[in-house]
Amino acid sequence: MPSSVSPATSASRPSTDLVARLSSSDLQVQLKALRDIKNQIIGNRTKKLTFIKLGAVPAVASVLADAFDAASCCASSSDLVVQSAAALGSFACGVDAGVRAVIDAGALPYFVRLLSSSDEKVVDSGARSLKMIYQSKLAPKYDFSEKVNMDFLLSLLNSENENVNGLGAGIITHSCETSAEQKVLCDNGVLLKLIDFLEGSISQRDASLESLASVMKDNTEVTSKFVEYEGGRALNLLVKLTSERSTRTRLLACACLIIIRNVSPGYLKGKGIETKLICYLLELLEEPGQVGDEASFTLSSFIEDKEDLQKLAFDANAIDLLCTHLQKDLLQPQRLEGILLALAHICSRLEVCRAKLLPMQAFDSVNDALRHDCADVRAAACMCMRSVSRSVQNLSAGFFMNEKIVLPLLQLLHDPTLSVQLAALRAISNIVVDFRTRKSSFVRWGGVKQLVQLSMSMNPSIRSNSLWALKNLTFDADNKCKEGVYGELTASSLASLIGDPEPPVQEQALALVRNLIDGSLDSVQYVFAEDSIVLDAVGRQLQRASTAEVGMQGMYVLCNVASGGEVHKDAVMDQLLRDTKNSSSPFITQFLQSNDSRLRTASVWVVVNLTTPSCRGVSSRIGKLRNAGIISQLKNMVNDPCLDVKLRVRTILGQYMTFGDS
Amino acid sequence: MPVRVVESSAPSQVSGGNSGNTCPQPCTLLSVGQAFSGTQNVSSLQKDEAWRVNVRIQGCDLDHGYLCGTMEALNVPMADTPVVTFWEGEIVDTKNYTFFTGKWEATPEDDIRHWSKFPSFSPLQNQVEADGGKSLDLSNYPYIFMRWKELYFVNVGTDCGLTIAGFYYVCFSCSDGSINGFYYDPNSSPFQKLELKSTNEGRPGFSFSAYELQ
Repeated sequence: MPSSVSPATSASRPSTDLVARLSSSDLQVQLKALRDIKNQIIGNRTKKLTFIKLGAVPAVASVLADAFDAASCCASSSDLVVQSAAALGSFACGVDAGVRAVIDAGALPYFVRLLSSSDEKVVDSGARSLKMIYQSKLAPKYDFSEKVNMDFLLSLLNSENENVNGLGAGIITHSCETSAEQKVLCDNGVLLKLIDFLEGSISQRDASLESLASVMKDNTEVTSKFVEYEGGRALNLLVKLTSERSTRTRLLACACLIIIRNVSPGYLKGKGIETKLICYLLELLEEPGQVGDEASFTLSSFIEDKEDLQKLAFDANAIDLLCTHLQKDLLQPQRLEGILLALAHICSRLEVCRAKLLPMQAFDSVNDALRHDCADVRAAACMCMRSVSRSVQNLSAGFFMNEKIVLPLLQLLHDPTLSVQLAALRAISNIVVDFRTRKSSFVRWGGVKQLVQLSMSMNPSIRSNSLWALKNLTFDADNKCKEGVYGELTASSLASLIGDPEPPVQEQALALVRNLIDGSLDSVQYVFAEDSIVLDAVGRQLQRASTAEVGMQGMYVLCNVASGGEVHKDAVMDQLLRDTKNSSSPFITQFLQSNDSRLRTASVWVVVNLTTPSCRGVSSRIGKLRNAGIISQLKNMVNDPCLDVKLRVRTILGQYMTFGDS
Repeated sequence: MPVRVVESSAPSQVSGGNSGNTCPQPCTLLSVGQAFSGTQNVSSLQKDEAWRVNVRIQGCDLDHGYLCGTMEALNVPMADTPVVTFWEGEIVDTKNYTFFTGKWEATPEDDIRHWSKFPSFSPLQNQVEADGGKSLDLSNYPYIFMRWKELYFVNVGTDCGLTIAGFYYVCFSCSDGSINGFYYDPNSSPFQKLELKSTNEGRPGFSFSAYELQ
């Protein structure tokens, strides 16, 4: 019987030679070459890629095919089958190029056929290799709606072989995504089988937990079946598994309970599980390797957008613990990303959390992470900056507007990765709100120039987010800052952004104009420059406003213009009544009837300003508004359910009775 | 043709089955960016004195009953420059905050004594005395009651000879944006009155800016 080669010998043997030996007619030479290759590539990504480049995968697949056909007649062929299948599985483990190569080499049908072998070792090798494939996103999607596929899946789950069970569960984890797929699996008894596995071996339990998460995710019907199963027995099993010795099992059980909680908070209420889950996950952060890496991501999925759970995490000292980990040396990128994301989520809503993190030394590490080599880490650091910069108190104190924080964020606006660019833009959007007179620093650092450049991007998200940042920058800004933005952007670009094909871009462009012309009355002139190109663009966009938000921002632009003198008010009248000669009603009439109270509010403010008694020309404007049917529409709104609208309508009708009805 | 405006803004009591929102509704005159100016009467037995005051709203989060901004006192005798403070406000919404302060050395009696100085509080007083106003529906009431507490001096040191130890009982009128308030500090002159009106930077109309945090 051949013995395995020592690593030293195997390492020195040229890889090309080993691949060549796979084609040998001598079965023993083939077997030895397979074992050598397998030993070299296990856990070694570089070696895997080297062998893949040398064409090793099709060669091994060919050995598998030949050996499979001959396996019934000799033991050596059976060994070849096991070794070649194992080698292919190893190529596919954790390396996408390997998965693609194994699929391209046509090995999958052979793996499936191995599962029917009478030799348990052969079955194991086939199941393990297929499982490796199904752990990759590149694996083909399994169609559960085909009866033959479902029968095959059930046969895997009902097998006596644990590796085969694990494969079945792995296929579910990989391919179950839609509610229809979740339902068909549940209807065919898969849920009950997976519940059975919760009391099985470690490998069955872990595989089942991962599959259960896929089958229940966002699905009320399946989740309630699980929760109500035998009076809550399955749920209790799951809770018990959170205290298992195996850290992987604990993590997976936590993830599964989080899926259940995310479907309906009521399922876990009154059990005190929520706090325990947070504490378990914080404990698991201590673990090395994958479990510790994933624990922070699982924690994030639990607390994301849930203020009550963020408070529980805060009470459980999560910020201190996460910061302790954050300051450890040589953190792997995935772990660093997970910790930053968890901090971002904890600080996303509660000021008490931000107040805790900001003075900590660990906040410097968040700042340092903006310059990390890994794009995912940079994006996560930006998200953390975005969360903490939601603190109005700190914005008001000018905490964020300094070179140390802003300059690296500005650099990330040129990041090659889109998600990093967007994350940086969102953080900058918050920081530039800065209520102190430090907005000029942002202009000086070239921030306006960069944001304006990005507002011309081909990507609509980049366009709308850069305009969002400019809008926040111009909020409550002095004339110099506004001039800087307007001068860089120009009236014609602004007009074209207002007419952008994407509503979110239109909305932000209009909101930017709204802020530009607030404050001193001189700033209203921005919309009248270049033959009123901006004001005309606003009027045109309001006529075809596709969303309430676009309508609302546009009406506030008109409101702010109408807060000026007679010329300004008359210009707004022209926009309101444009194209109404052919008996179509003005857009404001539709806005006043909108279901969105914010749009109605913005619209009534425009009329409040147009009918201000102390301003010249009011009688004429009131007459035109009455003739256009706007006054009669307002009379129908004296009992508007929105108090703000009701009070403004009352003001308008009071002004109307003074001047318009004479 | 003019129509009669229906008066229906008296606060109502929440019935047992009312599951709607009973918190004050958003009001554009109390939104971010809005500015107010007026005076704070700081008269003592020795002399009559009033400081000119400017207020600007910087943050508003109705879900959490939160408001914040800056307050600028202009002709403070012992200061060379206008004194700017940052304050945070609690909006009495019966959900996050009630009429009873429960801190800052204010007893329920102090609370009632100050709230009852606002004429718009009188329709609420009985209910507030009965249950702190927890069962009041303030969603259609045209006044918003708040407490403003100054947190720090923005442009002067704490050694400026001024104190921000107390807090303001505040009543905002949704109709015209006027603000009335009373400063409460057991160690200062009682009932220092704050009177502010909505300003529009000299414009003959109302102008609104906004920011949104991401």
